[in-house]
Order: sequence, then structure tokens, then C-alpha cells
Amino acid sequence: MAAPSMAAALAASLPAPQAAPTPAAPTYEAIPASMSKAIDIEAEIPLTCVQLDGIVITKILKHSREAFSTTAHGLLLGLDLDGILEVSNSFALPNHNNDDDEKATKSIARYQQSMLRSLKEVQGDDNVVGFYQATSLGAFFNQTLIDTQAIHQDRLRHGGVVIVHDISQTARGNASFRAFKLTPAFMDAYRRANFSTAGLISHRLTFASILEEIPLRVRTNALLSSYLNTLATPSTSTFSGAHPGVATTSAVPPSYSVLDIGDMGLTKNLEQVAEAIDNYRTEEGNVAYLSRQIAREKLRAETYVAKRKEENARRVAQGLNALPEEDISRLFRIPPEPSRLESMLLLGQVDAYAKSLESSAGTGLVKMYAAKASSGV
Amino acid sequence: MPVRSSSSAAYIQNISPTSNGAPSTRPTSLTIHPSALFSILDHYLRRTDAQHRVIGTLLGTRTDSTVDVKSAFAVLHSETDEQVAVDMDYHRAMYDLSTRVRPNETIVGWYSTGSDLNTYSALIQNFYSQETAPNQAVHVALDTGMEEGKGAGVKAYVSSPVGIFPKPENCVFVPIPCELRFHEAERSGLDLLLSPNPSSNQTDLDVLASSLTDVQNMLNRVLAYVQSVLRGEVVGDKAVGRYLMDVLGTGVEEDGGWTAGLQDTLMVTYLANLVRSQAEVSARLALTTAV
Repeated sequence: MAAPSMAAALAASLPAPQAAPTPAAPTYEAIPASMSKAIDIEAEIPLTCVQLDGIVITKILKHSREAFSTTAHGLLLGLDLDGILEVSNSFALPNHNNDDDEKATKSIARYQQSMLRSLKEVQGDDNVVGFYQATSLGAFFNQTLIDTQAIHQDRLRHGGVVIVHDISQTARGNASFRAFKLTPAFMDAYRRANFSTAGLISHRLTFASILEEIPLRVRTNALLSSYLNTLATPSTSTFSGAHPGVATTSAVPPSYSVLDIGDMGLTKNLEQVAEAIDNYRTEEGNVAYLSRQIAREKLRAETYVAKRKEENARRVAQGLNALPEEDISRLFRIPPEPSRLESMLLLGQVDAYAKSLESSAGTGLVKMYAAKASSGV
Repeated sequence: MPVRSSSSAAYIQNISPTSNGAPSTRPTSLTIHPSALFSILDHYLRRTDAQHRVIGTLLGTRTDSTVDVKSAFAVLHSETDEQVAVDMDYHRAMYDLSTRVRPNETIVGWYSTGSDLNTYSALIQNFYSQETAPNQAVHVALDTGMEEGKGAGVKAYVSSPVGIFPKPENCVFVPIPCELRFHEAERSGLDLLLSPNPSSNQTDLDVLASSLTDVQNMLNRVLAYVQSVLRGEVVGDKAVGRYLMDVLGTGVEEDGGWTAGLQDTLMVTYLANLVRSQAEVSARLALTTAV
């Protein structure tokens, strides 16, 4: 990841404006009170809100839709100011579909570097603040996302955020963007790579406490919103005899796709739920198998130790030298306790799919009654 | 969906006399994606004080007669009274980078802000024509609406050489129609930007409720109009009346499907709730140990 170097560069460049207001006194203690909110070198002000620019919204939308089959992801650029993380630009990252790991990682890093340099040249923001990930039907829990975010959280200023964009929900007429970061408890467990049962208990981790959501708001700058309004304003046709349906046109006509009655991909969603549950069952089976194996090995080790003790007691009684206590860890290889992370993530997926199913069935119900009421007139 | 209401764009076929043999087909219309449009606006906002206008490269796909502009990136350039310079290395580098992510998009032309076309425009057009050869480069002039007396809008041009001995600095910009085009699935994203107080944490039900309110308001408007016609306050428009008749006359056929559909939907809701509670219980159980 090239991200950390950018963060470091930013941190290094920040003290310069701070020195500017007090040129006479070169002591670094005096940040004026009025500026204390703006100058936040150590990233002490916690993030309370993520602000997405209109351009980022359209870029993510376009990228996610075009790369529908594969998962689209990219980097977010921007700055944080007084607890608000302003995301002002983004760019797509190439997909690493072929697992030529070492090479792919390097070339992506190179791509990132040159992209950032290029954006800087045209006065664009070049400070990485996180990444975005497209998802479908709400299930974004996976190992890659967690890993990437964990790396960012360690190295980026403020830990960075991940913006999750749900394609299927957007297609249903409700553009969905949500901002997340990993919870401190999960980060702690992740750093220690401790996802055994005991680890989960001590960190009180369930799938719901892996990520914490940060409030997100959308901002359109003045120029963009005035432009959009010009586009959306309907214009009346100059032909007097025009059909009322086509008499007024606008570049962005009002859309009522939300009101479409239909199955809204419920079948697909149900399949996904079933599939996720199957995956979860398989993973649980693996964990159970490993647990049984551990128990068996432990039992064997214990019986061996007990036997040896018994024999030693007998030998001492007979006046012989006791046999040495051997290191049982060398004799019996007790497999490490399995990581529960994978099954936790799968459970999170099950929950997300079911949640999306619930919400689309709920709106479907309302629409059905509406259609019934209007046809009854 | 024309971007500009009073588009006077006409298509004039003007085959250049110098190109003998099979002339490459010329685009007759252009569509532009919102994300390209917004990139241009963003670039305009980030210009330096010295820059009068900004230019950049348009990427997209082309068919025989139309050009679809999908995205855009900024290019460095400088204009003085004597000369114009475009950073070609930068342009190439950015193009190489963007082909890695979007391999199907090629250079289709260039954009600039402001609507004045001058000699420099012709020179830049000449440069981009080499980049897009054998196809023609398109030029999109975006009016930001910042200058007084000029409305915001987008115009698209193709060029054609002029004079007996064509020179790069002379050319005619022929306007072509330009439309905003986006996929239906991206529509809700634009709605998000258009809404006066955008927040992204709406549930599906919130969105449904707001669009039902919209429909209700429109019905009220129609109802008010019809009633005022009936009272004789307004002379009714026959075309509107017929249109309303067509629209409101379509009834939904009642068959047995509704009840079955309702049962299915209720079942699905129940199932989804069940799965969620089971998942929650399972997650809690993972936190317990056998004592």
C-alpha cells in the first residue's frame, strides 16, 4: 500500500502553516485558539461525520455499475477538518483478478503512486483517506475488506474509512452509501490475530461489532448544485400541438422506479441467503471437526502424562530412578485453536442478506396494498 | 434528454475535400455521462487564478454515428497571447493509467470550459484529432453559467477544415446534438444529489413514502385542474383531457395472483426475520463456553 507514505508526507507538511501566524515567536506551543480546530496535526479530533462530494457519488456509481460482475473498489481522496472527513475525489483501482500476488501488488502500488502524482499536478486532492467497495444485497463482510481496512486503520491518519455502496439497493431506487471503520475491539483482536473462542469472548465480538458506522452526508458544491438544477428544470416544448406526455422535457426527468411493482429480485436474494447459510454450515462443520481433533489430541496427551506419572510412582516405590518427565508438546502435536473470524464474517453475511430481503419484502408489501387500493376504485 | 433546452444543433455533412478514399464516418450526436460532466466542473473549480479556462481529455466509446463520453480527466495547459501549450506527456500518462481500469474507453475528444471558440481551440482540436485518428475528435464546450448573461449548458462540436489549403489553426466547429445519458440504475444517485437536504441513511420505506407523497401531490394538482374546468373557470385543453383519460383509464386487472403474491411476500418477510434472529442467537452462542 502506498497510502501510508502520503499520510506521512501530509503530517510532515502540516506544521508549516502553523508557524505562519506567529512568525516572531518560533516556539511551537502556540496554536491560536481560533485555529485549534483547523490545525490538528496529531489527528486528535475524532471523526464524527463523513462528507461525500457529488463527484465521488457519481464516480462510484459509474464504476460499480460497469464492473458489476467483479467487485469494484477504489481509493478515496480528501481531507479531514474539525471532525468531518471531506471526501472530495476518488479513483478506481484495477482489479487483481489473477492471483499473481507479488507482481500484481507492486503494479497496483505503482499505479496508485502515479495516479496521486498526476492528480496533484492539476490541483486535485492527493491525500488518501480510505477506500470504497461496491457490494450487492448488503453483504460486504469479507476477508479482503477487513484486511484492507485494517492496514489503512494502522497507517492512515484517522485510520481512514471504507465507503460501502450497495448496487442492488441503488437499482431499487435508493442510492445507498455507508461509511464504516473497524471497532477498536476488533482491531485489538486483529492485531493479535486472536480469534479463538476465548479471544472472541474477551473482546465481546460478534459480527455486529466488527464495524462501526460513521454518519455520512452528501455535499454538492454551489456550482454543481446550480448546474444540476438547471439540468432538472423542465423546459416546455415550443410546438403548440405537442402531446402532453412529451411537451415538457428535462435532462433529468423525475423517476418513479421506486414505485415499480414486481418481485424486485427477491428470488435472487433468497438464493443468496440460502447460499450464505450453506457456507456458514460448512465453516461451522470445519470448526467443529478441528475442535474434536484438538479434544482428542489433548485426551491422548493427558492419558500419556497420567500413565507416566503412575509408572514413576511405581518405580519410586521399587526404589528405582524416576523416568524423566518428557516434553509432551513434542510428542503430541495439538493443533492450534481454529480462527472463528471466517465463520463470524459468514454469519454477518447471512444477516446482511436477510436484512436486505426483509427491507425489500417490506416495501413490496406496501406497494402491493397500494396497487390493490388503486385498482379497487 | 437534451442538455440544453434550445438546442439549435444541426448536422451538416461536410466531407473535407482533402480526404479522398473512404472518409471516416463522422459522429452525428454525442451523449455524456454525469460523472464526466461533474469531473469537468470539479476541474473548473480547482483551476488556478491565472487560468482563464481549463481543458481536458474525454474518454468514452463510439459507434458509427454517436459518441458516448463516459469519463474525463484534466490536462495541464497554458494559454498566453502568443502561444498555447498542452502537456502531452501528462495526457499520455493519464490515458495509460485510465486504460488500466477502464480498458474499453478510448480517447474521443477534449473538453474546455467557456463557450468561446478561438484559434487555440482549433489548434488543440488539431492535436486531439491526431490522438483519435482515424476517427474524428469531438469537442465539448461546457458553460459553467458563472458569467453573466450565459446560461449553464453543454455544447458539442465536431470540426471540419476550412479553406482551400487547410491549416491547423483554421477550422469550422460544427455543432452536434448533445444529450445527458446515464443508466437507469444510477438514477437514484442523481436524485440523492438533487434532493435539497441529502442524507444517505434513508431506508427503502422512506424513499417509497416520499415518492408516494409526490404522486399524491400530482394527483391533487390534476384534480384541482379538472374541478376548475368542470366549474367552468378554465377552458379545458382537449389534448390534456384525452391524455388524462388514457392514463387514468388503465385499471389493474384483478385476478387471483394478488392474494398469492401477498402470501409469498409475508412468508419471505417472516423467513427473513427468522434468519436474522437465528444469526443473532448463533453469534451470541459463539461467545459462550462449555462450563
